[in-house]
Amino acid sequence: MGIVLVNGVEVEVADDERLNGIQAAARAGVEIPRYCWHPGLSVVASCRMCLVETGTRNAETGAISMMPKLVPACQTPAKAGTVFVTESETVKKARAMVEEDLLIDHPIDCPICDKAGECYLQDYHFEHGQKERRADIRPFTSRRRDLGPTVTLFVDRCVMCSRCVRFGREVAGTSELLVINRGSDEEIDVLPGFPLENKLSGNVVDLCPVGALGDKDFLYQQRVWFMKRHKQVCTHCATGCSIWTEENQDHVYRVRPRENPHVNQWWMCDIGRYGFHHVHDAARLVGAERRDGDQYAAIEFSEAIADLGPRFDAQAKQGRLAAVLSPFLTVEEAFLLAHWIRSRDADALMAVGPVPVEGEDERFKSGFTIRAERCPNRRGIEAIVRHPRGELASWEDVHSEAEAGRLSGVWITGGYPKPWVDDAAAAKLAGVPLVVVQDLFASPLWEIATYRLPGAAFAEREGSYVNVDHRLQAAEWAVRPPAGARVEGSVYWQLLGLPGMYKSRRVLDDLAATIGYFAPAAALVPETGVQLDASAAEASTAPLLASGS
Amino acid sequence: MAKFEPVLLANIDVPNSFTCAVYESRGGYQALRKAVGPMQPADVTEVVKTSGLRGRGGAGFPTGLKWTFLPKGHPGPIYMCINADESEPGTFNNRILMELDPHQVIEGVILSCYATRATTAYIYLRYEYPLCYERLQLAIDECYAAGYLGKNILGTDFALDIYLHRGAAAYICGEETGLIESLEGKRAWPRIKPPFPAVEGVFHKPTVVNNIETACCVTHIIDRGADWFKSIGVPADPNNPRDAGSYGPKLYCLSGHVNKPGCYEAPLGITLRQLIDEYGGGVWKGRRAKAAIPGGISMGLFTEAEFDTPLDFAGPGRVGCLGLGTAAVVVLDETVSIVDFLHNSCRFFAHESCGQCTPCREGTAWSLRMLNRIKAGKGRLKDLDLLLEIGDSIGIIPGTTICGLADGAAWPIKNAIRKFRSEFEEYIRSTNPAGYAVVDAVPALPVLAHH
Amino acid sequence: MATAERILTDEMVAAIKAYFPRYPTRQAVTLPALHIVNDRLRYVPLQAVVEIAELLELHPAEVQDTLSFYGFFKQDSPHGNTRAWVCRSIACALRGGEETLEYLCEKARVEPGQTTADGRLTLEFAECLGACDFAPCMLAGKTLHKDLTREKCDDFLRSLE
Repeated sequence: MGIVLVNGVEVEVADDERLNGIQAAARAGVEIPRYCWHPGLSVVASCRMCLVETGTRNAETGAISMMPKLVPACQTPAKAGTVFVTESETVKKARAMVEEDLLIDHPIDCPICDKAGECYLQDYHFEHGQKERRADIRPFTSRRRDLGPTVTLFVDRCVMCSRCVRFGREVAGTSELLVINRGSDEEIDVLPGFPLENKLSGNVVDLCPVGALGDKDFLYQQRVWFMKRHKQVCTHCATGCSIWTEENQDHVYRVRPRENPHVNQWWMCDIGRYGFHHVHDAARLVGAERRDGDQYAAIEFSEAIADLGPRFDAQAKQGRLAAVLSPFLTVEEAFLLAHWIRSRDADALMAVGPVPVEGEDERFKSGFTIRAERCPNRRGIEAIVRHPRGELASWEDVHSEAEAGRLSGVWITGGYPKPWVDDAAAAKLAGVPLVVVQDLFASPLWEIATYRLPGAAFAEREGSYVNVDHRLQAAEWAVRPPAGARVEGSVYWQLLGLPGMYKSRRVLDDLAATIGYFAPAAALVPETGVQLDASAAEASTAPLLASGS
Repeated sequence: MAKFEPVLLANIDVPNSFTCAVYESRGGYQALRKAVGPMQPADVTEVVKTSGLRGRGGAGFPTGLKWTFLPKGHPGPIYMCINADESEPGTFNNRILMELDPHQVIEGVILSCYATRATTAYIYLRYEYPLCYERLQLAIDECYAAGYLGKNILGTDFALDIYLHRGAAAYICGEETGLIESLEGKRAWPRIKPPFPAVEGVFHKPTVVNNIETACCVTHIIDRGADWFKSIGVPADPNNPRDAGSYGPKLYCLSGHVNKPGCYEAPLGITLRQLIDEYGGGVWKGRRAKAAIPGGISMGLFTEAEFDTPLDFAGPGRVGCLGLGTAAVVVLDETVSIVDFLHNSCRFFAHESCGQCTPCREGTAWSLRMLNRIKAGKGRLKDLDLLLEIGDSIGIIPGTTICGLADGAAWPIKNAIRKFRSEFEEYIRSTNPAGYAVVDAVPALPVLAHH
Repeated sequence: MATAERILTDEMVAAIKAYFPRYPTRQAVTLPALHIVNDRLRYVPLQAVVEIAELLELHPAEVQDTLSFYGFFKQDSPHGNTRAWVCRSIACALRGGEETLEYLCEKARVEPGQTTADGRLTLEFAECLGACDFAPCMLAGKTLHKDLTREKCDDFLRSLE
């Protein structure tokens, strides 16, 4: 353990930590401004905004000797005895110089620039910049240059931090972005015929400290200061990137990665990033319905919930019940539904919904991987399905049971962003007397449902998901579902007659105490998730109850 | 003062001096035979260290000491990069050495590689020297044929390849790590240090970067001995442990408003006035000098009153210049406008700034735009203060930039304005009587290209 | 997408590959490759950049990045039969370098950087050519023209092919 001094404040740095001045200062609660440094990219120390004074403190005498020149904090290791001074007059003057330099040729675009409100140039100008403009006045607005299908460039806003170029070379490995020219004529560009077109493309917009890189999906959609952001987990593949879902008045405008060293570092892929539009798709199902002969009658959710207990009880006497737990459910929702179905039929067939797979796993240069398994929670759902008997039935098993006439009632959960069930599959279930379907979009299954219960999209759910590496992460809900749709968790909560509002944390407490695999989630789940034990996933938790014993 | 008997320029007037045959007939490759085999590499380094040789490329770092920064016992490969990118305005001594005595250069390179255990040397040669390219390649080919390059040099297990690598007209490729980046095939953005090239240079391997003239000095130091080299020039000040002295002969370039522009060899330490009067035939056209660049434009300006300053590593610093640099003197006579001088300088640095770090990229561009506006008759006195602020704040000396180009851009600004302020003020007042006193920011001129 | 017609001839490819053994990385052959193409074609069009990148196992953007840094390689069309660089740095400027460039531009009827209509000459300004002993000077092709005067400029223009 070593002590680093930041403006006289002592900060501890462990022996195996490799921190720079910026990180050490952050520990002391001091923000050193910077443009080009990013923990996920190589250090170039070119913006010169993070210049500080540095020195060493003698371990025995305590005497401090400072270096005569400024150094970039980003390239200065914070080791035992290192001293940083971040607020001296010299440092402040240097920062003001860099800030002024960047503004000299910067277009007057704030009123029309997406980045306003989360722009380093704006923020640092207020905190560290010169009070008035001293360079010749040159009002102009930026040129715009298309870089590819997802990202556009406002050329003249660029501060040449080179983060975007480094990302392409170091993380994505696709290297489409380049710098052209030399000196103050430098610009970012792509080669004609080689656009910025890789599945990690959107990350460069996050990285851009100013409004040079624009996200075409988000461009001009919403001012950032109107949005609130919520901690969620991406549901588009088994990687389960930590994300921020950003909304205003229950409308999601943007999804961005949330830093998680265990899962996605600072990145997310375009599939997840731009995969939120289905939340507000006009084709989303709303309005609970109950089948009446060949017609459907609209009903209140409360009425459906009151109906379903007795109806499932009745069906349990006629045959076997089944539940299809979608890999898009949270583990809490799956646990509640499984519990409710089994309380009516201890022998109920529990199955995992179909697991969508597209292509192969796609690994990028830094190791970031998009999984072929395009759902967030297969492992979590499987663990719940396996409990307590260790049996794991599939969607196809449910079809077989249905076709054999052994199923008398089935509850099917969907919540897939894309079409997931075809006519053939729906036909196999058409003979089951009681079919409850919770889903987002119409499908052949919707057409055979007895009870239609429009369900939630990811942005509306709170709860936990277990990713490909058996890491459990907890999400908050970000927006309320549209009128006429109900989050699955809250439906099950009411079905079970539990008091008050659905709170997933209370379910997770129960889950962690009941199924060994989830035990590490008994304590409050950190923002970056908690690691479950993969070997506990398949362990049976109780001896198999053979039908004969 | 007696004219110094040329050592570095000893061969240049001899017909076919650039051939191996002529070079050897005049004692060439004796040094190589003294060292490769009979001496250990570390001994060669020791001799060069003892000689007090300081790099001739502009920074003046002790050469032998630089060689000792290479990690001991490194498995290799170790690389030598010879900086033949000579682009500092006013400088042309490397050109003369390469055109007219390339074997002197090659012998020095081979000796340097022997000492540092480098197995490959790249000579990074600026594009604008096509005759040098031809002559160097010829010399290299002759050396392979003679067994001075390739495997088993002079019957030892020392092997060396030398390759020429052509640049493409960018000044920053003369910067040590800019050269390395360019050699590696990337844009020549100088690297942050640490790591230093001796530890992690080209291709991430230990690398030494040396100048052409430095390599030539190595040849003569091995040939004639460290003591000989130390007997020439200005000894270190015994009271100053940081003074590394100014030893050996130096090639001084002289150009501008003199009667005999040219490259002259003299012991380190002659004064600027001596160079002009005794070597350069005096200021031209019977005029008086107004100022002179002492060591390439990056070093700043001497006023005429400062011409008696010795041109050694310590002298120019005493009159507020950056240093000796490339010892390239350019003389400005009394008719030259210092405003024009500074405009030419700012234009050069704005054009050559690599653009990587903010203070240099924007500071050099801003200075040029101000000089453009001043020359267009719309200057303000306040511009002088802003220019000085830029000059005082950019560079590796204050620590605000990655490399020394910014310092080179800054010093002409600081020297010109501080030493000739009244001329600037007079120019601004007379060309912009209505607006010279304005302190608020003024509208920019229509965007002028740098060209 | 760049055109399918190959620009690099077999000879150029062989010349580029001859450089491979000199360096431990292919990327280091970038500048030599650019010069090889430029020496023969008098420019380096985008298609050549793509082909060089293929040979050197680089992304085309990386080659273009390097190319554009130097401001040296033309890409839209070849430079003239003679490419003449007139120095404008301090030593030449002190002895009439700027006036020389102006004069040549006027006589050739082009701006710096441009090529004459008949394709014989591209005039460029250069920063210090390292021939300050012969200021004002000009590098035309491989020939250094020293101590330029108006007469020498006229002779030069007359000599162009």
